[in-house]
Amino acid sequence: MDAWVSAILSGVLLGLAYGLAAIGLNLIWGVMKVINLSHGAFIALGMFAAYFVFHSFGISPFVSVILILALGVVVGMLAYFVALHRVISAPELSTLLSTYSLSLIIIGLGTFVFTTNPRAIDVGLGSIKLFGAYIPASKVLTGLYSLIFTAALYVFLFKTWTGKAIRAVSMNMTAAQFMGVNTTFILSLSFGIGIALAMVAGALIASVFPFTILSGGIYELKSFVICVLGGLGSPLGALAGGLLLGLLENVLTLKMPVGYVPFIEFLILVVILLVKPSGLLGKE
Amino acid sequence: MADVILQVEKLSTGYGEVQILWEVSIQAKRGQLTTIIGSNGSGKTTLLRAITGIIPAWSGRIIFNGEDITNVPAYKRADMGLIMVPEGRMLFPEMTVYENLEMGAYNKRARQKIKESLEFVLHLFPRLKERLNQKAGTMSGGEQQMVALGRGLMGCPELLILDEPSLGLAPKLVLDVFDVVKKLREEGITMLLVEQNVHLSLMLTDWAYVMAEGRVVMEGSGEELEKSDEVRKAYLGI
Ligand SMILES: Nc1ncnc2c1ncn2[C@@H]1O[C@H](COP(=O)(O)OP(=O)(O)OP(=O)(O)O)[C@@H](O)[C@H]1O
Ligand SMILES: [Mg+2]
Repeated sequence: MDAWVSAILSGVLLGLAYGLAAIGLNLIWGVMKVINLSHGAFIALGMFAAYFVFHSFGISPFVSVILILALGVVVGMLAYFVALHRVISAPELSTLLSTYSLSLIIIGLGTFVFTTNPRAIDVGLGSIKLFGAYIPASKVLTGLYSLIFTAALYVFLFKTWTGKAIRAVSMNMTAAQFMGVNTTFILSLSFGIGIALAMVAGALIASVFPFTILSGGIYELKSFVICVLGGLGSPLGALAGGLLLGLLENVLTLKMPVGYVPFIEFLILVVILLVKPSGLLGKE
Repeated sequence: MADVILQVEKLSTGYGEVQILWEVSIQAKRGQLTTIIGSNGSGKTTLLRAITGIIPAWSGRIIFNGEDITNVPAYKRADMGLIMVPEGRMLFPEMTVYENLEMGAYNKRARQKIKESLEFVLHLFPRLKERLNQKAGTMSGGEQQMVALGRGLMGCPELLILDEPSLGLAPKLVLDVFDVVKKLREEGITMLLVEQNVHLSLMLTDWAYVMAEGRVVMEGSGEELEKSDEVRKAYLGI
């Protein structure tokens, strides 16, 4: 019984973090119509940022995550101008290639600097007893933080001028320009926020699981599956998709080896794309 | 004589390699309604896109409020009070009516006056009052046009540009749109109107231009143009 409770709780908590990363992917798609193939690389970068700050200054990822958020926005905006600005109105293949090269560069440099040895962050917060099951506190905080970041993004998108401008650009870029929206700024900011969410999710997950510079790929796959589950272009759908995937993988691993998880995720991706390409929870 | 708010001088532009506009010159005067008529594909929307900065000018100049804005980016033109109500309405479909109106007041000048503007718009379109929380994409064509006009007015326009506001509307609603244009003119709002309803717009307008194949081929007061044989033959079907 405890194993089930623990699996379900883990599923929800990790699912929220997967959802956060997926919301970043979703935002970039929704606003820019760019499939960000560098998402996983930035997730890994977030992991290493948290690792570096933790081991150099002893600052917990649950503190440095604010720094990593800010860093992510800046890095993402720079990456936009370097890799995307000139090809943003070109056919989709160009932006795919462009974000893919970004990913290759990050992972190449990362492998050179950090090697592919596994790392871990042990925040040493112990466990918390929830519904009769012992859950690592870092996992609980990871879920909680993900929820807070998602809520904050939601408030930003719906309650501030800049957030509303982001939504407006995602719906009709030309009309947004007519309203006086600086669309170049909004596009770069959206990429910055999307990247920041990926890095933040990475930093949080790094407090739970060991990782290497190549780990991002696994989580990028999860982000894609989640977006397909929740429907591209819908942030709340991404959150729901994250929960669903988190639950699925944690409950399934009670009965089968962990190594099957990526295979099952990939299967879900393919089946949904065949059956309902707009996403399981998505609109037509 | 009223002063000139918009002066387009020998403007040429196009898409890619294809030239659409050939040395187009028009002007709009403060407090007046200026109209551009012309058949489908004559370049009216292209001219408005160049004026608002969505596409660059290849040559020529655009002067707005005494300032050369030919190379000013589109979003800054909105800040200056050059406000466009685009062809096809281009609302933000997933936003509520209220949010659409709010986005209309995004530009720097308009943000401070958002309350007064909203009052003015809801006075002009009382029907929008009950619809403020409805998603704009779910409204009927006529209602959407009201939101589009309202959104434009929220921008505190120095010059309000309307691209075929009556397009695709039922005859009764077309008359409603012209009613609004008339009211706005009486309020002293400077407008540049592009219309297919030649008769209705020529009756209202202070000055009109006729475009054909990317050039201005005729200009005059509404009355003059309505009497002209060419306009009658080409656009009024008489
Ligand atoms: N985005 C575009 N790319 C290439 N050509 C375009 C584009 N938009 C318009 N054109 C061409 O430019 C010419 C003028 O089009 P424009 O839309 O300016 O005409 P219009 O006078 O507004 O017509 P309508 O009354 O149908 O709205 C047309 O031949 C059209 O095919
Ligand atoms: Mg047109």
